[in-house]
Amino acid sequence: MITAFIEGPLWYFALVVFLIGVAWRLFAIARIGSKPDLSVPRRSAAVSGFMTSLRRFLPRREMGSRIRLHVLAGYMFHLGLFALLLFAAPHVLFLQEHLLGFGWTPMPYWAFIVTSQIAFAGLLLLWLHRVLNPVTRLISDADDHVAAVLTFVVMLTGCLALMEAFTGLRVLHRFTVELLMIYFPFSRLMHAFTFIPSRAYTGALFGRRGVDA
Amino acid sequence: MNNNKPGRTRRPVALYSALMALFSLMLALPMAPQAWAGGSEPAAKVVNPGTELWREVRQREAPRAGVTQVAGMDSGVLINIRGEQWRQFRMEQLIPAAGVLIGGVLGLIVFFHLLKRGVRLEHGRSGNYLLRFKEIDRILHWYVATVFIFLALTGLILLTGRVVLIPVFGHEVFSVIASASKEGHNLFGPLFLLGVIGLLIRFVSKNFPGKGDLGWLLTAGGFLGGKHPSAGFFNAGEKIWFWLVIFIGLTISATGLILEFPFFGQDRPMMELSLVLHGVGAVLLVAGLFGHIYVGTAGMEASLESMTSGYVDVNWARQHHDQWAEVCEAEGAVIAGEDLAKKQRLRGTKNRVPDRPVAEEGR
Repeated sequence: MITAFIEGPLWYFALVVFLIGVAWRLFAIARIGSKPDLSVPRRSAAVSGFMTSLRRFLPRREMGSRIRLHVLAGYMFHLGLFALLLFAAPHVLFLQEHLLGFGWTPMPYWAFIVTSQIAFAGLLLLWLHRVLNPVTRLISDADDHVAAVLTFVVMLTGCLALMEAFTGLRVLHRFTVELLMIYFPFSRLMHAFTFIPSRAYTGALFGRRGVDA
Repeated sequence: MNNNKPGRTRRPVALYSALMALFSLMLALPMAPQAWAGGSEPAAKVVNPGTELWREVRQREAPRAGVTQVAGMDSGVLINIRGEQWRQFRMEQLIPAAGVLIGGVLGLIVFFHLLKRGVRLEHGRSGNYLLRFKEIDRILHWYVATVFIFLALTGLILLTGRVVLIPVFGHEVFSVIASASKEGHNLFGPLFLLGVIGLLIRFVSKNFPGKGDLGWLLTAGGFLGGKHPSAGFFNAGEKIWFWLVIFIGLTISATGLILEFPFFGQDRPMMELSLVLHGVGAVLLVAGLFGHIYVGTAGMEASLESMTSGYVDVNWARQHHDQWAEVCEAEGAVIAGEDLAKKQRLRGTKNRVPDRPVAEEGR
């Protein structure tokens, strides 16, 4: 009964909350718009926005070794999670059967294990940095910690269910994923959708004024 | 009716009995030489060739490989008797010993805490601080701690689950827990190895034997004699714990990898040895971990701060690591509490972002 609820009504509820919530947040941000800038543009806003979107993938040289661990752990976690989400064999099969109707070549088992380990190590290091560094601790609130813990639990339950021998473990993973999907639009996890527009907007705004952002 | 014709019934019975006797004699004839050789030995001692075959398969001294088309290490061995030996060792020696060791350490900690109520700061807090561990060291410490605690929990479930969890949850629930624990344990194992290597790189230079270590050991860290012994950045107890973590940590990591990836030609004796070393080493480390956690928290006042904020009170440093404190004070590394509060906002500041920039608040 619980399994049927988690794989049925709760899944559709989570999917609807996720899709409508994300769309609503993006629409709300777009609706804010920007003030008309009457100054003479010194550079192309579009080019500056595009360049800033790319430039922010690398840390600023001035920050140097101070954020080396932060950057490394950030890439480990985000790339690992991205790969797991889209290329883990059970995920590809799920997307093919339940959402998209088509699939693609998944990563092999050994790659899944290595990717999971990289992602786990990255997430753990990032969260430890958040709570142990005085600055990141100061600017963090409950939302950051809930998002980190929820993401960790989702990844963990997914890996614990790797053998796919027990329905209970798979359903537990599904349940935590649904919790994450419901929480997602109301949290800073939205940065998954907003980080590129945010960079582009900042880059365009400052680039028009002749400033590298 | 039969009583009317007794002769007809008796004749077939006699014939049947004679045939059975003849047939038994035929069966017994091949055994006659053994029976004659054994004198008065009963016929039951006669050995069945099939029995001999299976005894040879099962009870030989060492595995003897047969011939098979199945490729793989030990695939020619039908039954390995050492599996049963390992099972007996695990159930009758390793698990009880692990229980006694871990329970004993916990008992000792409780006893010590009730006796001494932990080690307090003799002169209270000074309000001044010394930087003991940098951020990278603290991140590394908590990374290893988190991974190890996860591995310890899943490992203990796998080791003792049959004895401890099956009576509570039953076989079905335990099979789910065990499957999840196995996957999690295998996944996080290599992460622990990376952490141990990191610890080795960051802390090895401070953990070689030095001045005051012998005195610290002879007085059991001040437990015997009453006076707190002199120590540098790390005392002898911390150094012993460090080397235990390194050696046992590397051992259980190496044996874990041997067990997790059994396709590099490792044979069964190596796997069995790895399993024993892995189990014994992990139990030792878990027992030591309890002591480490106690000393770092309730067992020693103001110790935990060194691994949370990175700073320790100067009086704590003078009491527990006087040689290090002396050097730091001579170098002028002491930070006043107010300066530290401003620097790190450790005290007197709510852990939140101001609603408005500070410059705007004055308007």
